[in-house]
Amino acid sequence: MMTALPPPPPQWVLDLAATPTTKPKISSIPDPPGFTTAKQQRGASAKTPQRKPPTQEEMETLKVKKAWEVAIAPAKQLPMNAIGMYMSGSSLQIFSIMMVFMLFKTPITAVLNIQRTFLPFETPNTSGRLIQVKLVFLATNCAALALGIWKVNQMGLLPTTRSDWLAWEEPRTNLELAVPGLGIGI
Amino acid sequence: MRLQELLLLPAILIPTVQAIFADDAYHVDYHWALVGQPQQHATFFQQPFAGSKASLIYTLSAHNVLAAINPKDGSVVWRQLLTPSTNSSQTFLAAGEGQDTLISAVDGQVAAWSSSDGRMVWEKQLGTSRIKDAEIIDFEDGKQASTSKDAIVLMEGETPTVMRLNGATGKTKWQFADTSGDVPFQLSSSATSVYYIAHHGTFLGGYKIKVSSLSPVNGDKLDSYTLSSDSEVSSPESILFAGANTASPLLVWADKAHKVLKINIIGTKGVASFNIENKGSGEIERVTVHAPSRITSLPHFLVQYQTSLSQWAEVYHVDVNKGTISKAYDIPNMSGNGAFSTSTVDANVYFTRVTTEEMIIYSSASHGIVGRWNRKVLGASTEGDAYPLYGVTEAVVRSNTAQAVRSAILFSNGDWSLLRNGESLWTRPEALASTLSAVFTSYPEAETLAQQLDIEGHQNVVSAFIHRLMRHIDDLRHLPTWFQSLPTNLMASFGGATISPDSIKKDSFGFGKIVILATARNRLIALDTAAQGKVLWNVDVSSIAPGSKLTAPQLTSLPNGRVQITDPRLSTPIIVNALTGESNNLQSDIVTTVPTGQFSTVVEYTLKDGELQGHIFGRPDEVVWQFKPLDGERIHGIAARPLDDPVASIGKVLGDRRVLYKYLNANLVLVTGVSEITSTASVYLLDSVSGNVLYSASHRDVDTTRFIASTVSENWLAYSFTSASSSVGSRGHQLVIAELFESSLPNDRGPLAASGNFSSTDPSSTVGDISKPYAKSQTYHIPEEISHMSVTHTKQGISSRQILAVLPQSHAVVGIPRQIVDPRRPIGRDPTASEASEGLMKYAPNLEFDPKWYLNHKREVFGIKNVITTPSSLESTSLVFAYGLDVFGTRVAPSFTFDILGKDFNKPQMLLTVAALGVGVLVVAPLVKRKQINARWTT
Repeated sequence: MMTALPPPPPQWVLDLAATPTTKPKISSIPDPPGFTTAKQQRGASAKTPQRKPPTQEEMETLKVKKAWEVAIAPAKQLPMNAIGMYMSGSSLQIFSIMMVFMLFKTPITAVLNIQRTFLPFETPNTSGRLIQVKLVFLATNCAALALGIWKVNQMGLLPTTRSDWLAWEEPRTNLELAVPGLGIGI
Repeated sequence: MRLQELLLLPAILIPTVQAIFADDAYHVDYHWALVGQPQQHATFFQQPFAGSKASLIYTLSAHNVLAAINPKDGSVVWRQLLTPSTNSSQTFLAAGEGQDTLISAVDGQVAAWSSSDGRMVWEKQLGTSRIKDAEIIDFEDGKQASTSKDAIVLMEGETPTVMRLNGATGKTKWQFADTSGDVPFQLSSSATSVYYIAHHGTFLGGYKIKVSSLSPVNGDKLDSYTLSSDSEVSSPESILFAGANTASPLLVWADKAHKVLKINIIGTKGVASFNIENKGSGEIERVTVHAPSRITSLPHFLVQYQTSLSQWAEVYHVDVNKGTISKAYDIPNMSGNGAFSTSTVDANVYFTRVTTEEMIIYSSASHGIVGRWNRKVLGASTEGDAYPLYGVTEAVVRSNTAQAVRSAILFSNGDWSLLRNGESLWTRPEALASTLSAVFTSYPEAETLAQQLDIEGHQNVVSAFIHRLMRHIDDLRHLPTWFQSLPTNLMASFGGATISPDSIKKDSFGFGKIVILATARNRLIALDTAAQGKVLWNVDVSSIAPGSKLTAPQLTSLPNGRVQITDPRLSTPIIVNALTGESNNLQSDIVTTVPTGQFSTVVEYTLKDGELQGHIFGRPDEVVWQFKPLDGERIHGIAARPLDDPVASIGKVLGDRRVLYKYLNANLVLVTGVSEITSTASVYLLDSVSGNVLYSASHRDVDTTRFIASTVSENWLAYSFTSASSSVGSRGHQLVIAELFESSLPNDRGPLAASGNFSSTDPSSTVGDISKPYAKSQTYHIPEEISHMSVTHTKQGISSRQILAVLPQSHAVVGIPRQIVDPRRPIGRDPTASEASEGLMKYAPNLEFDPKWYLNHKREVFGIKNVITTPSSLESTSLVFAYGLDVFGTRVAPSFTFDILGKDFNKPQMLLTVAALGVGVLVVAPLVKRKQINARWTT
């Protein structure tokens, strides 16, 4: 997290750093022991090196780097999801069905929101480089989707076999008919 | 080792029998425990043991059922089905006074039965000769205990033999052989001797009656005399009566024209002759003699004359000391048919006359009427124009007035009723016992709805909608009645009260059907399956089609609640209304039930000269194919796939989701052939259009005298036989099931591939074994033999099926689930995961009948010859009806009742839950509303 700006210092740090410069003239109260007056402090703070604000180019590199991380995040989730799916078994239960549903929902919503996801990294210069990143993001989400499809197939919900289409197969009609004669006792 | 035993110990605690609960049984089924038509000479009232207050009716019926009937309610106390090896025409039942055993004689078999519980006391096989008569001798000869009186038996054969059998053990005490060449007729006994009556033909065509008296102690012939009866007795049937176990046994005969009546007191040579005076109208058709059978009763008897229009009787007295017979009085002529029966009270003899209107009891001593009642016919009687045929009577008479008279009367429609003081107490529809054929038919209204729906299904959307709207407007007529019946229906469905049969009639589940039966006694009977098998109507076929006689009737259900009866002996089919039994024989109504239009060829197959022949329908000369089993085999049975046999899925889905395609051919006939010489049995599955053999199997060491039951359904066949190895001497019963597939490979639709139709005569271009279906079969050992097999039938064929097997030994019908006897069960190994997911278990050669499979539960269903099934409106349920001797009907759900709420579904609880939720909503709604408003104001 080097690129992130340091958070604003807490109030007590500010208070400590910015001691009231205007000391009340008439004061019988001595400074507490160990309290250094601003005059003394100013000299100390001037010694610390001042941080340089990042250049535009650096910012863009950072943004692309960040975008890459977002793009490969679903792939990182993949092994954990795979183990979860494997563990939940192939039986049709509410738990496994919900897991499978989530497995499908996450990548699809991610792909649909792809522009919004990468909007913070969008600058006139990075947009060219971001296409590649977006494609990778798409691919990783597809991998997650593939895991979902594999799971659904494992549960036998994909109509991939002959038996799934059996109901649409027509029985053969007989062209001839035979009937028992009278008195045959059938 | 010890530890292992210890571990196995809890296993014996697991109940091996998991039957259904007692209160789950007998809700959907009905059963008529029948005995068949009782025989006049083998039916009587008798105390089950000496000193018993109540008496039972014992009968040996024309169907060889020995039964004890409770006269109070007509229920069967016990029954025994006697199985003669030949169809003997004469069977006998005898019981001694104050005895606790009955002696039955059927064919060559004499048996004694305990009167109170029907257990066999002893049995004696008398070889191949038939029994001509059996009597109890009713006297003491000093050596014999009074508890079991001896029986005397007369046997036919080359040398007719009279035997005295010990009443307690059945051992032969003595026997007397008649070598004179006379034809034995009957036995009779008096207090002093046993009389053997025989007859022999003369040159002029008449018969002389010869009476020999035998010593009851050692069987020696004491005396013999011949009566010159040859001028009157032209056939043995002319002898009307011989016997009456009284002090004076009688021999009565008449000439063929019924002009003269001759009576001989057995033991004397004198013959009394009386001229018969025809007091009625029409020719005398029948002369019957009624005499008391008790040894202590007065020597009085009654002669009944019956013409086609009227009947009357004469009472005669015998003077024992003088040896003379005199006519005492006449019982006046009455029109119609009537039945006379004798009863004794102490020594007094009473004659009871039952006609269609009245019940009258006369004393034998004088012509005064002791009791007279008008007959009351109960409301639900199907008696119609039936008249009494014959019966037995028990009377209680005090101071010459009849207190109570009970007569068990057989009516001409086959009903056996008990009349007490003219009132019908119960009726047993014994006509059902001789059922030849039966068919299910639906109520007309249920059928019209199905037709209307069918019309709507074939119209376009708009006109179907209009049609439906019109139908619903039309249905509004029934709304007031529906509202009226609503409280009753609600009470019935919540209170669990019995729903009246009328409401079941209009049930939407299709459980209420009518079964039409055709009997060997020429009657058509309708039963209501919704009302526990109640008889709806009972009509005589000869009243519809005069002079006709049903021999092998074939019944077909037609639309609009009509049934068509065809028979080889009927010139034109009969059509009756299933609801009323009325016949409206219009030629235009007669339909050929064969849908000839949509098929290129229609073949009819018949059995001719031991061959199965297929010919073009309607043209018997154009023989298409003929089939004869292998050398030395004869055709034993034929089973065909039903014409209406819906199959939901054309393939079988395997565990790995591949498909094994079923071989579905509508024209399948299974022929079983047996050979007695080589004791083999073979089955041949034929395509009944082309006559091609699709599958065959042969079994050695088969007991060909036993039943071979077979059935075909869907793409499978099943048959059972008894194997009897001559070398090992073991016997066993086997059930074989074979399933046919298009191809042995999954996902392969066989040589015809995806072609949409199929011709039997031109199947495919491929030749050889590949063109035949792939068959897989498995054999199971079953604990009992099966006499008949049927298959359940549901509306769409989605539910799995059951093989309905009739077990003649345990008098039961079992439904064997088809998935249990799957020929694809893995042999010698545990099923793989994919096989287990198909529900296949490891093959076990022994198939025990699970107690839950018994459709009859604890009841015994006797003599079932056929089981018919029909779908109900619910896919899960199939209606079953079994007939033969007993009539039994039930409903089966092979895949359980998945489309109907169970009996244990708690309707009140459901209603209470809904009501509680409604109340909760009403209570909570204002609270929530207030909270919401408050929430708005506070923010």
